[in-house]
Amino acid sequence: MLAAADAVRRPPAPARRQRRLRPSVPLSYLVALVIVAITLVPMLYVIVGGFRTTAQLNVAPTGLPHPWVWQNYKSILTSATFWQNLGNSALISIVVTALAVGLGAMASFALSRYKFPGREAWYLVFAVGLLFPANVASLPVYFLDKQIHLLDSWLGVALPEAAFALPITIIILRPFMRAVPGELEDAAVVDGATRLTFFLKILIPLAKPAMMTVAVLAFVTSWNAYLLPLLVFTTPTHFTLPLGVATFQSTYSQDTASVFAFTALSMLPALAFFVLAQRRIVGGLSGLAGAVKG
Amino acid sequence: MTELKGVTAAAGAPAAAVAPPASPAGRRHRPRRQVVELVVLLGPALVLFASFVLLPICISAYYGLFNWTGYGPLSDFTGLHNYKLVLDDPVFRSSLLHNLIIAALSLVIQLPISIAIALLLNRRMRGGSFLRMAVFAPYVVSQATTAVLWLLLLQPGGFVDELMKAVGLGGLVQEWLANPTIVLYTMFVVLTWQFIGFGVILLLAGLQSIPAELREAAAIDGASAWQTTRRITLPLLGPTVRIWIFLSMIGSLQVFDLVWIMTLGGPANASSTMVTYMIFFGFHSLEFGYGSAAAVILFVISFVLAFLYQRFVLRRDTDGALTRAVR
Amino acid sequence: MRSTRTPRKYAAVAMASVAALLLAACGSSGSSGGNSASGKVTLTWWSNANANPLLGVFQTLMKSYHASHPNVSFTYVPIQNEQYDAKIQVALQGNNAPDIFFQRGGGFMATQVKSGEIKNLSPYVSSWIGELGSQAQAWQIGGAQYGVPYDLHTVGFWYRKDLFAKAGITAPPATMPELESDVTKLKAANIVPIAVGSKDQWPDAFYYDYFAVRECSVATLEAAVKNVTANAPCFAKAGTDLKSFMATNPFQPAFLNTPAQTGAGSSAGMVASGKAAMELQGDWDPSVFQALVPKSEWQSDTTDLGWFGFPAVPGAPGNATALLGGSDGNSCSNSAPEPACADFLQYLDSASAQKLVAGASLLPANPAAASAVSLSADQSVLQASKASSFTQEYLDLAWPTNVGTALDAAVATFFAKPTTTSTQSIVAAIDQAATQQ
Repeated sequence: MLAAADAVRRPPAPARRQRRLRPSVPLSYLVALVIVAITLVPMLYVIVGGFRTTAQLNVAPTGLPHPWVWQNYKSILTSATFWQNLGNSALISIVVTALAVGLGAMASFALSRYKFPGREAWYLVFAVGLLFPANVASLPVYFLDKQIHLLDSWLGVALPEAAFALPITIIILRPFMRAVPGELEDAAVVDGATRLTFFLKILIPLAKPAMMTVAVLAFVTSWNAYLLPLLVFTTPTHFTLPLGVATFQSTYSQDTASVFAFTALSMLPALAFFVLAQRRIVGGLSGLAGAVKG
Repeated sequence: MTELKGVTAAAGAPAAAVAPPASPAGRRHRPRRQVVELVVLLGPALVLFASFVLLPICISAYYGLFNWTGYGPLSDFTGLHNYKLVLDDPVFRSSLLHNLIIAALSLVIQLPISIAIALLLNRRMRGGSFLRMAVFAPYVVSQATTAVLWLLLLQPGGFVDELMKAVGLGGLVQEWLANPTIVLYTMFVVLTWQFIGFGVILLLAGLQSIPAELREAAAIDGASAWQTTRRITLPLLGPTVRIWIFLSMIGSLQVFDLVWIMTLGGPANASSTMVTYMIFFGFHSLEFGYGSAAAVILFVISFVLAFLYQRFVLRRDTDGALTRAVR
Repeated sequence: MRSTRTPRKYAAVAMASVAALLLAACGSSGSSGGNSASGKVTLTWWSNANANPLLGVFQTLMKSYHASHPNVSFTYVPIQNEQYDAKIQVALQGNNAPDIFFQRGGGFMATQVKSGEIKNLSPYVSSWIGELGSQAQAWQIGGAQYGVPYDLHTVGFWYRKDLFAKAGITAPPATMPELESDVTKLKAANIVPIAVGSKDQWPDAFYYDYFAVRECSVATLEAAVKNVTANAPCFAKAGTDLKSFMATNPFQPAFLNTPAQTGAGSSAGMVASGKAAMELQGDWDPSVFQALVPKSEWQSDTTDLGWFGFPAVPGAPGNATALLGGSDGNSCSNSAPEPACADFLQYLDSASAQKLVAGASLLPANPAAASAVSLSADQSVLQASKASSFTQEYLDLAWPTNVGTALDAAVATFFAKPTTTSTQSIVAAIDQAATQQ
């Protein structure tokens, strides 16, 4: 169970003795080059394409900008749409992350360190949630939002997304919290702490790596969600970034260069977040494997 | 309480130190206080989860019993008729088949590629961390953005076509998104582009948890690199591979964003998936009773497939949280 | 860490609590909300006019209306045409519909009226709606006026005179065999004969609709719309006609994933930029063309643009000059402030406003502005409407929404696999959907 913690914390194994140089090494570099080309060139093409005009793109789809045009990026960055989409995405993702991690940690605490009848059953209720793909439930969630008047409201997206993030959160956090030695809790109690202060002051800091893992998972999932926002939002000023990109593409598709620029800009926050938090994200996903592995 | 004790104690198994909270703590709190604490701790998560995960399925199961356009009251009760219509519809069946094809192709194509790249990255090579980032980058971009990006690249006479012509593969250029026999595979290639990094990272974590001593010992015994990989590394990677298959399967079942933005499930439903089917025939054509029935059927299919996989495959080696939960 | 053994009874407890939770969760609730206005009002208007020239016309009209009615201001929300239907549907169901919203009329409107969210405008418009002539009646349900049209639509072939000339075609085709031979000539001249936006499905349906109009008598068509059925044999015959036309392979490469109106690569974009010779589309096509090609290119193109009606089908018993068409308009939601909403719709139909609509290469709903139709090709459309005794509303909009969607989807399937799909499949899909009424 500590695998989760390990996978997140463990630094790369120290370099062992130099391997013999095998003939396959140049081949490895060639393969690596091809892989990098396949993954990065499409993105670069779109980013660079945003510096061309629609006419340039129509004449030579594969060419380089000549001359470089800043207008596409400038007009998107100075219009409200992009920033609104970005702000909506940020608001929703942050609320989803806070709710999923906060409520998930509380529930995991109850499910890991309290003893009460039916505990495993309650755990199971959450755990089976992992088997519900969120997209499959989108239409049902839409009906619910309609019933409780959350259509076209950011809460109508954030609350369901947080609910769907709970299973994985609890599945990862519970074993982590359970693994904390009971002696620690006893010692805290001897010092006069209540269980809740033990939870807040000791358990949460100890579980920080796992908390980061689940936070990253919840955030990335929410940030990239498309279907539920598509169904729930009608007012363009409420759109999230994925919805905004698709809408921009269909609304302004005659202005191909702007579509390139908008698409490129919509990738950047995610890519920047990834570069900054690479170790956390990678650690988070590895932690997912570790945790599920038990 | 006591009958549960055995269960909880056993949960700490391998690390003896990891025993559950000892009884003194428990005894000190009177039961009533514990109930209050439990309600406070567990209540909010349960309410959220029940309201937005469980309740919607109930609502859909109920709406599915009616012929309903979404306007006005539910008055035209038709029983299980909608459910029968969905299951009888050849378009629904082919959509389900498309999901299964994507799942199967992921297994036979994405998985080996992911393992190969992970093995490559597991070697210490110059620029390894850059390579890791490059492979993983498409995964952090949303599917909607990926869809728009590839829609631009795959236009007839667009970047992909021009590039293929430039390298002498012009003869292989296809109507990537317009040819009904090809479009599903185009979708699969784009899905692979986006998700390969996820598999690589997962497998790499698995590889790095395999003690290097094992490989070194084998090398000293004269095993070739390939033999070591085949006989030692891959078998030890088993649990990670099985987790990947599970996650990939759940992902394959809910493919929507890419298909919807790139082809709307067309042409002629050649790229439709279960979720695009539900949205198109339930939401867009205002047959909400029908769409609800489709949602419930999708839910049952996903649940049963994931459950069976859990029960019979994942459980073997990962008798952890998940498996115990759904046993 | 290996897990605990969970005895079977815990599994039973678990199942029981899941069941209990499901039952507890399966309650339901519902109430409704609304909004009000006083004094100064802001009208929120959703429309599919998201590009010039029509967008500019609407903006001008909002500005001038606000100038004369300072207490009324607007929030205009342009929504891409293909995304519009789902959006307005969601809004109507969520009881948060905008005050004014774009309306397609027909069965589409009838389905929406069931939401109870669309206002009966009769009390406000009955005094003047007669100016629009008989077509205003198409926007009534049971005598109640639920929408007001601002333009008229007619579907026909838009073609490039320059490309026709290049292929040696001297006059537009009047019959299907002529059209088919023109297709051959254009292909021989290395020109894409016809562009079609099959990704969006509804343009495909124009072909089927027109063959049905040629094959069916007016009485049969009217009965088919009224009774929501396509069981008359002429609807099956339309499928056969479509099949033989498809056999000439008249469309552009990759037409199955070509959108109709979005982007330079769309079917409209292809005609606008001279990459295809013709397209079967609504009369609004020139206004779409203008949005898709740079202004400089467009100016020179207008004289090259021509229009001809859907050719006659030899031996078909239906009306050879009957047209396929419809109209665009707006509805007000129940919560819209009055009289502002209805009054603005009247303003949109005033002769001066309608002249601007005509100037945007659209056919005005108010006959008083017909003289303002400037595009020469549009004059041929007007002549065709005058010569025709009957206009069938697009079948996918005339029928209820689910039947219309089924028709579009079935025709799209037929377009994708014309050789292997049964000609009966379209009729079967319509009748199947009709049972779900």
